Amino acid sequence: MRRYSPRCFPAVVEMFLFLVMCTSAQTQSGDPVEFFEMKVRPLLAAQCFACHTATAMGGLVMKSREALLKGGDSGPAIVSGHPDQSLLIQAVRQTHDRLKMPPQSRLAEEQIENLVTWVRAGAVWPDDSPAASAARQEGRYVIRQEQRDFWSFQPPSPVDLPRVKREGWARSPLDHFVLSRLEDEGLDPVEPADRRTLLRRAHFDLTGLPPTLDEVNAFLDDESSDAFQRVVDRLLASPRYGERWGRFWLDLARYSDDKLNSTEDEPYLNAFRYRDWVIQAFNDDLPYDLFVKSQLAGDLLQDQSKEYVGGLGFYAISPQFQDDRVDATTRTFLGLTGGCAQCHDHKFDPIPTEDYYALLGVFNSSEIDEYPLSAEEVVEQYRKEEERLNAEKKALDEFRANQRSQLIEALAHQTSCYIQASWKVLRSNEKEDLDSVTQDQGLDKETLNRWIEYLSTFPRDHPFLDPWDQALASGAKAHRIEEIAQSVEALVISVGREKRRVDEENERRTHGKTRVEIGKTELLSLERDKYFLWRDLASEKEFTAPSKFESGILYYLEEKVDRFLDGVWKSHLDTLSRRVERLEAAMPEKYPFFHVISDKEKASNEHVRIRGNPSNLGEEVPRRFLSILSQSEPRPFTRGSGRLELAEAIASPDNPLTARVMVNRIWLQHFGQGIVRTPSNLGQMGDRPSHPELLDYLALCFVESGWSVKAMHRKIMLSATYALSTRFSEANYKVDPESRLLWRHRPRRLDAEALRDSLLQVSGKLELGVGGVSSRLDDESNLRRTVYGFVSRRRLDTLLALFDFPNPNSSSPRRILTNTPLQGLFFLNSELVARMARALSQRLEVEAGGEEPARISLAYRLLFGRQPSPKEMQIGLSFVNHESDAWARYAQTLLSSNEFLYIN
Amino acid sequence: MKFTGASINRRQLLRSVGTGFGMVAASSLLAQSQSPVSVLAPKLSHFPGKAKQVIFLFLNGGPSHVDSFDYKPMLEKYDGQPYPAGNLETERRTGHLMRSPFEFKRRGESGIPISEIFSHLGGCIDDICVIKSMYTDMPFHEPSLFMFNSGQRIPGHPSLGSWLTYGLGTENQNLPGYVVLCPGLPVVGPQLWSSAFLPGAYQGTYIRNEDSDPEKLVPNLRNATTGPSQQQSQLDLLGQLNQLHIERHGSAPEFEATIHSMEVAYRMQTEAMDAFDVRRESEATRSMYGEGDFARGCLIARRLIERGVRMVQVYYGSSQPWDTHDDILRMRELTAQSDKPMAALIHDLRTMGLLDETLVVIGGEFGRTPTVEVGGLVAVQNGRDHNNHGFSVLLAGGGVRGGTTYGNTDEFGFKAEESPVHVHDLQATMLHLLGLDHTRLTYRYSGRDFRLTDVHGRVIEEIIA
Repeated sequence: MRRYSPRCFPAVVEMFLFLVMCTSAQTQSGDPVEFFEMKVRPLLAAQCFACHTATAMGGLVMKSREALLKGGDSGPAIVSGHPDQSLLIQAVRQTHDRLKMPPQSRLAEEQIENLVTWVRAGAVWPDDSPAASAARQEGRYVIRQEQRDFWSFQPPSPVDLPRVKREGWARSPLDHFVLSRLEDEGLDPVEPADRRTLLRRAHFDLTGLPPTLDEVNAFLDDESSDAFQRVVDRLLASPRYGERWGRFWLDLARYSDDKLNSTEDEPYLNAFRYRDWVIQAFNDDLPYDLFVKSQLAGDLLQDQSKEYVGGLGFYAISPQFQDDRVDATTRTFLGLTGGCAQCHDHKFDPIPTEDYYALLGVFNSSEIDEYPLSAEEVVEQYRKEEERLNAEKKALDEFRANQRSQLIEALAHQTSCYIQASWKVLRSNEKEDLDSVTQDQGLDKETLNRWIEYLSTFPRDHPFLDPWDQALASGAKAHRIEEIAQSVEALVISVGREKRRVDEENERRTHGKTRVEIGKTELLSLERDKYFLWRDLASEKEFTAPSKFESGILYYLEEKVDRFLDGVWKSHLDTLSRRVERLEAAMPEKYPFFHVISDKEKASNEHVRIRGNPSNLGEEVPRRFLSILSQSEPRPFTRGSGRLELAEAIASPDNPLTARVMVNRIWLQHFGQGIVRTPSNLGQMGDRPSHPELLDYLALCFVESGWSVKAMHRKIMLSATYALSTRFSEANYKVDPESRLLWRHRPRRLDAEALRDSLLQVSGKLELGVGGVSSRLDDESNLRRTVYGFVSRRRLDTLLALFDFPNPNSSSPRRILTNTPLQGLFFLNSELVARMARALSQRLEVEAGGEEPARISLAYRLLFGRQPSPKEMQIGLSFVNHESDAWARYAQTLLSSNEFLYIN
Repeated sequence: MKFTGASINRRQLLRSVGTGFGMVAASSLLAQSQSPVSVLAPKLSHFPGKAKQVIFLFLNGGPSHVDSFDYKPMLEKYDGQPYPAGNLETERRTGHLMRSPFEFKRRGESGIPISEIFSHLGGCIDDICVIKSMYTDMPFHEPSLFMFNSGQRIPGHPSLGSWLTYGLGTENQNLPGYVVLCPGLPVVGPQLWSSAFLPGAYQGTYIRNEDSDPEKLVPNLRNATTGPSQQQSQLDLLGQLNQLHIERHGSAPEFEATIHSMEVAYRMQTEAMDAFDVRRESEATRSMYGEGDFARGCLIARRLIERGVRMVQVYYGSSQPWDTHDDILRMRELTAQSDKPMAALIHDLRTMGLLDETLVVIGGEFGRTPTVEVGGLVAVQNGRDHNNHGFSVLLAGGGVRGGTTYGNTDEFGFKAEESPVHVHDLQATMLHLLGLDHTRLTYRYSGRDFRLTDVHGRVIEEIIA
C-alpha cells in the first residue's frame, strides 16, 4: 500500500520566523493593551510579520488573537493563559522538537518572558489597531540601531589569531581560524592531499584545465619546500588564469553575446570586448576597487580612463527586458538584494523603497552608448559614409514607393478590364489563350496572371467577389461579367480612396507619439471586409486566400516595380540605384567599439513608484547611496548621473560589504562553498558566516594588499586548509556532514567550461589564444576555450545548458550543478565526445607507440595526472585486447569516468 | 546491464531534495544501500492526489474567451453599443462591444454552450470543466506568460512543471520528467520552462516538435558507430573504473548520481526512441489527431504521459499565434489546427483509461476584450485587445468535475465577477489535484522560502469531483 505522509521538506517550512531584536525586559504592569503595544507588537512586527502575515509561512497568519488561536499547519500557535502549552512559546524557548525560533539564533530571555507574560495574561490583542510598519514613523523610514548592528554592516575588525592546540599544523594565519573552530567542535582535520591531487586541484582552480605531463613531472621533481608556491605563481601568471576567473565574474555580470529577443537573433557584435576586458583585468590583477569603479564609472575616472571604459559593458549589455541594474549592482558588489525594495520596503534588510529609486535615478540618468576604439577620423569617416548611404537608400526607396503607388492607382482603374480579360481565360467555353488576351487588350501579362490566379481561388476573406464566383460557375454572359467587373472596379477605387483618408487621419492622430501612446489613441480603420479587399489588391503583406500570394496582386515588391518604368523615370531609377550600389561597395567595416553607458545631458531623479507601479508615483528621491551604508543621512549625488560617486561609495575601504563579498566569492571558488553560502546576499535572510573572524581577516588583508585578487589566491592556496584531502571521516561526518568547518576538501564536478576544455586539452586539440570574437560552440571547427564561445540569452548553447551554465538573463553567484540522464547521453553518444575520444586514442598511439601498457599509462597520466594501478592496467589491457575499435572506445570510457569528471 | 557502482538510499535522496543536490554530503553508508534513485525519483505527495500527471496545452497569445467558451447573449444584443461600465484598462484602447462572429451551440449532456469553431472539443464537454472567471494581473504578454508558467510576473522563478517534478519526481526514470513541446519558441522562450533556482534537473526538456523523427527531436539519442553490445561492454568497463575510483577516494553522492544518470541515459536510448515516435501509432489514431505540429505535439504528449512523464506542456506555436488584435475571424484558422487534436487527446486518454489520472489544462496567458480594439495601428478593427480582467481556462480529467462551469464574467465577458479565480488559485488547484499543498511546496533560496503561488492561491474545491 502506498503511504502518504508529510514530505521531508526543509524544516523551515513550518517555522515561524523570528529575527533578532532587542527590547528591554519588563514585567507586565497595568494596561494589557499598553503592554501589548509596547512589548509584544513591536517584537511580532519586527520579527514575525514578514513571514507570518501575507506570506503565511507554515500556514500561520499572525494578524490577530483569533489568528494565533487558529494557528498554522502545526496547530494553534497559542493556548490562551497557558504559555507552556503554546507552540509559539515552545518555539521561542526552542524546547519543541521541531519548531525552533528564530531559525538561526535565539531571542533574548527577556523577550521570551514578555511573550510568556502576554500569553499567560490572555494574549490581549486589541482589535483594528493597524499594525503599522515598524520601520516607518509618520511615513519616514527609520533604520533602528539593532538593524545597524547587523554583522555585515559592521566594519571588519582586526582580531588576534585564535589559539590552537595542535602545533605545527597551521601554515598560514588563516589556518588558525579554521583549526580553532575544528578543535572547538572536537573535529580533526583529515590528512593533506597527495602532491598529484593538490597539483590537479590547483590547476583546475586557477586555470580550469588539468596539468600537462610536463607540469606534473616538473612539480614532482621539484623537492624544494616552496615548490607548490612556485606552481601557484606560475598559474597566476598564466593567461589561462584570467580565462577561468574572468568567467566567474561574467556569471555575475550576466554576460551575453546577444539580446533576449523572442522572434529573431539580435547579437551584440562587440560584447566580447567586455568579456576580454574582464579576462584582462584578472590577468593584470587590476585592483578590485578599480575593477568595480571601472564597471560603474570607467568613463568618469580621472586618469587614463580609456583603459577602464571597457568595464562599462557590465551595464551596457544588461538584459533589456527586465531592468535589473539596481538589483545586479547591489547583489554583485554589495551582497544585498536591493531589487526587493522596488515595490515595497525590503522585508528583511533596512533598505527602504526610496533607496531603490535613488539608485535607479543614477542608472536612468545614464544611457547606452558606443565607445569607438578606432581613430576619430575613422569613426567620423564611417559615420559620414553611413549617413550618405542611408540618404541615398532613402531616396531610392521613396522613388520606388511613389512609382508603386501610382502603378497601383493605374492598375486599380483597369480592374474592370482585367476581370473581363480573366473571364475570357477562365470561362468554361470559348476559353482564350492568355497571351492573345494580353495582346488584344494591351494588358500587363504578369498582372493578368495574378488576377486570374486570384479570381480562381476562394474562399476569400471578403464577400465582394461572390457574384463573380457565381457568374463564372453558372456560365453567365459577357454583359453580366462586365456589370460585375465595373462594380468591383468602382468599389476598388473607392476603397482605395477611403484607405488613404484613414491613413492620413491616423497619421495625424499618431504623429509624434510613442508606441504605447499610439496603443491608447483611438484610430480609424476600414471596415473589415473592405480592408481585406484592399489587402488582397494593394497591400505589401503576403496573404493566403487560400493559395499564397507574396503581396497584394497590384503591389509589386521592391525592385519588381522597376520594369514598369521607362524613359526619364527609368534613367532616374538607374542613377539612384547605381549610387546606392557604389556607396554600399565602398562602405568600410564598422569600427570596433566598447558597449558602454554614458551620462545623459541632464541627470534627473526618479520618483518612488508605489508598489512598483509606474503610473502611481510617490515622492521624488534624490540620486544617492543606500541609507544603511551611509554615515548619517545619505548626501545627494551632485556630479552628473552620480555614477562615480556611487562607485566611490561602493569601492571604498570603509564600505563594510564590498571586500567581504569579494573575498567570500574567491573562497567559494576554491572550496565549493563560501564562508557565507549565499554569496550575493549577506543580508538578514542570507546565510551567516561559518567563520566570521576569518572572513573579516581576509577582507582586511584584501584591502591592505591593495585589493589584489591574486594575493588573495596565494593567501588561500598556501594554507594547510586548502591542502586538505577529500578523505572521508565517519566521526567528522556525523558532526559536520557538509564540511562547513573545513575538516576536509569536498570533491567538485567539472563545470561546463572545464569539462569541454579538458576534453579538448587531453585529446591534444585545444587551441589556446586570448580574446576575440565569440564563436559558436556547436561549430565542429571551434577548438578554442569555452569562455570564448557565443553566450546567448535567447537560446543557450546545448552543451552549456546541459552542464548547468547559468541563465545569462540574471546575475548568478554560483553554479548549481546537476546530474541528468541527458548528460549521460552526451558522454555516450555526442559527436564531441566521440571526436575527442578518437583524437585521444590517436594521440596515445603517436606518443606512446605500439606497446599497449605504455599507451594505457600515458592515458592515465594525461587524464588523471597519475599512473594506473596494476588492477586498472589489467582491466584496460583486457578491454583493448578483446574489443573491436577498442582504443577509441577505451578513450571514450576514460573520458566519461568520474575521475575525469571530478576534482578532488 | 550491470552497474557495479554503489547507490544512494532513498532517504538520503529525499533529504537532498530539500537542500539542493550540492548540499548532500557523503556517507559511508551509501555504499551499502540498495535502490539507485535520482533527484527525479518518484516521491510521495503531501496527501493522496487525484491526478498523477499533467498535460498543459498552451494556446499562446491569449485566446478569446467570448468567441469560444464564454457565451454572452448580451454581447450579441448590444453589438456596437458602448460597454456600460466604461471600458476597463487593457493594453490598448478599445471601442464599442463587438459580438462574436461565431455561433454557439449547447453541447453534451451538460448543455454548455460552445462556439462552433470548437465543435470537436464541444463533443467532449462532459469531460471538461470550464473556469469562466479567470483573471491575471497585467494585460501584457510577457508578465502574463511568466505569471501563468511561474506564478510571478517577472523572470527568474521556477516553472510549474519544475515545481511539479521537484515535488513529485517522475515515474519513468528513462525519460525526462518534464517535457516542453513547441514548434519554434513562444514569446519569452526557455525562461517559461526554466527551473530558475531549483536544481537544474527540474528544468523542462525542450523539444521542437516540427519533426516526426525522434532522432531529430532528442539530442545525442543514438550512437552512429557503436552498437548496443559494444556500448554495454563500455559501460561495464566504466562501472569497474568508477568503482575503483570510489575505493580510492571514498564514496560521495555526486559520484553515485553520475553513475546513475549514465545508467538512465543508456536505457533512455531505446525508451525515448519509442516514446517520441508518433509513427508507431495506428493510422486510425494519427488521423483522429489530424495533421500539423500541434496535433503531433498532442499525440507525443499522450505517449509521454502514458510512459510516466510527470508533465508535458505543448505550446500551440512559435511566437504568439492566438494574439488576434486585428481580426477575430482568424480564430477559424487557429482552431482548424487545434480543435480536433485537443478533442482527440481527451478522447484518447479516456479510451486508454488515463484520463482520470491525467489533468489536461487548456488555456492561454489571458483572454480578450469583448470590445473591439481601436487603438494601435492594427490593420483592421475587427479584433480584440488583451484582457487580463476575465478569461476562461479548461480543465479535463485528473479529478476535475466534467461537464461543469465555474464562476462567470460579467454579462458582456469583460471582467471576472462571479467567483473570480486568479492564476495563483488555478495553480494552487492544479497542485492540489496532484496531491501537493501549494503552501508547503517550498524551496529555500537566497535566504527565503519560495513557492509557486508566492503568498497567494486558493484551492477551488468546488470543481473537484
